[in-house]
Amino acid sequence: MTGNPFELVGLQPRINTTVAPVKRRHGRLPVVSMILLGLILLGCLFAELFMNHDPLYLNLSNLSSPPSSSFWFGTDPMGRDIYSMIWYGGRISLLIGLLSAALSTAIAVIYGSISASAPKAVDDGLMRFAELVMSIPSILTVIFLQAVIGQSNPFALATVIGVTSWMNMAKIVRTEVQRIRKSTYIEAARTMGAGFWYILFKHLLPGLIPAIMFMVVTNIGAAIGTEATLSFLGIGLPVETVSWGSMLSQADRALMTGNWWLIVIPGLFLVATLVCITDIGNYIRKENNRKCSNL
Amino acid sequence: MQRKGDAQLKHKLFSALKKLFQVLLTLFLLSLAVFYMSRLAPGDPLRSYYGESVERMSTAERETAMERLGLDQPVYVQYGKWFANAAQGDFGISFKYKQDVSQVIGNTYFNTILLGGSAYLLTFLLALGLGIYCALKEDSLADRIICKIGTVTNCIPSFWVALILILVFSVLLKWLPSSGAYPIGSPNDLLGRVRHLILPLIVLILSHLWYYAYMIRNKLLEETKQDYVLLCRTKGLSRRTILWKHCVRNIMPSFISLMAISIPHILGGTYIVEKVFSYPGLGTLCFESAKYHDYNMLLVLTLLTGVIVILANLLAQFLNDHIDPRMRQTKRGFLR
Repeated sequence: MTGNPFELVGLQPRINTTVAPVKRRHGRLPVVSMILLGLILLGCLFAELFMNHDPLYLNLSNLSSPPSSSFWFGTDPMGRDIYSMIWYGGRISLLIGLLSAALSTAIAVIYGSISASAPKAVDDGLMRFAELVMSIPSILTVIFLQAVIGQSNPFALATVIGVTSWMNMAKIVRTEVQRIRKSTYIEAARTMGAGFWYILFKHLLPGLIPAIMFMVVTNIGAAIGTEATLSFLGIGLPVETVSWGSMLSQADRALMTGNWWLIVIPGLFLVATLVCITDIGNYIRKENNRKCSNL
Repeated sequence: MQRKGDAQLKHKLFSALKKLFQVLLTLFLLSLAVFYMSRLAPGDPLRSYYGESVERMSTAERETAMERLGLDQPVYVQYGKWFANAAQGDFGISFKYKQDVSQVIGNTYFNTILLGGSAYLLTFLLALGLGIYCALKEDSLADRIICKIGTVTNCIPSFWVALILILVFSVLLKWLPSSGAYPIGSPNDLLGRVRHLILPLIVLILSHLWYYAYMIRNKLLEETKQDYVLLCRTKGLSRRTILWKHCVRNIMPSFISLMAISIPHILGGTYIVEKVFSYPGLGTLCFESAKYHDYNMLLVLTLLTGVIVILANLLAQFLNDHIDPRMRQTKRGFLR
């Protein structure tokens, strides 16, 4: 029998009182994705250094030949070298991704800012319209616009994709602008006589960038995916314009003859790019959220 | 008491009418926009009707043809005519199929409902299961592996998944058919239909599942941080019971609205998958009519999709108001 009164009444001393530190899994740079994406980007930018054949040359003696020492990834049904086409066509795919993301970001920022600063009736109307556009499946709007424009060059396609993918971001911009406008430092700036444009460029835009950065990166990936889907379905870029999507649009014929290299190899490049972009986008989002909650 | 009931009924009727008006207005604006834009398009609608023989037509023949199809009048007159006919259920003829648009759609819409509907239900059932599983095992090895795989599958374009599956299961292994909705010549063969559905279904589920499962997982994890969960723990309930009996129930309203707003997303996915598998449905029709400038068809398809989406949104609102007792009490106006 011990003399400790606490143990007499049944209270035990706590053995381990230190709380194990919570492991922080976010905040780790997506190194693998960044290196892989960097390699693909460099390869496409300096395609001339990597290509060992002319990507546009129709080599009629080597139609649909399997991967070999001369044609590393094989050739397509028109006799073009797939290895060279991947680097060469990646330019178009990435260009479309960047252009349409830039366009949709511009639309979203302008639309969202207007909506946030306009009187309530206009704001309601604008948001209703955004919701209306959002409620139609985007593939349908894209098909429709593409049919209306009727041209199949990279710029037309980038415009169509950009015009149909701004709605989500516009909503975020609107909420952010409303939040920033109400904050006291804007009020302070205003009382010191700052003009509208000054506030826009010095306060609103810097405040917006972290909030929409994640969306911008995601949009680049989504646009590359949409380009590939559209070209594959035959309403995007024609086969003559080399891009990852238009390479895959020959898949129908390749399926019948079992030419797997034409489907698998460009697809792997496309998927690798998309996965890397998504990974980086997720990192940005987590990083951004973490900063917000630590304030 | 009677008066109160009357007022309540009136209020309900009024809001229902308002909703109806909003829906009709939206549809009207949608059809107007689509109609105008399609008529401004550079493509030649005569080509889709007459095919290559357009090239050989003389000017006079062209003019008669334009007049016969009503393409020579200003756009607003054309729209007025179209609207008057549409109000009577006549949506014009498809330039490509040379049949009534409603007839062509009537032949195919069931296939889309079959594919899209079963994909929709299966996706959400699986997403709920996966979400709950991941929430229960948060941060365990299984959860992290599922999360990684999910993120990767989520960003693969669905057409490529479809291609790979066709390559493996139809071309290499020859287990499953790669196109169509039923074996050629026997549309009533039930087993054949199911066999044709398997690959498109897998593609649709794979490309949408993780997006929703992840949302459900995060929503559940948010819910587990609430105080009542702590209370349940102190009462001695097991983690599983708390999650199933309390947390899952509490996220049901957001789950249902998620289901409703995801309809356009899954419908869009269905359209793409249909095209890849040459599955005779609305999606394939959409691509065909866009390719051949068959505007009457495209217009009706866009409107039809719009109607489905709007109805789904209304249904979600209605369910949300009625399924969650908390919403009922805080509703404006009439407290029960």
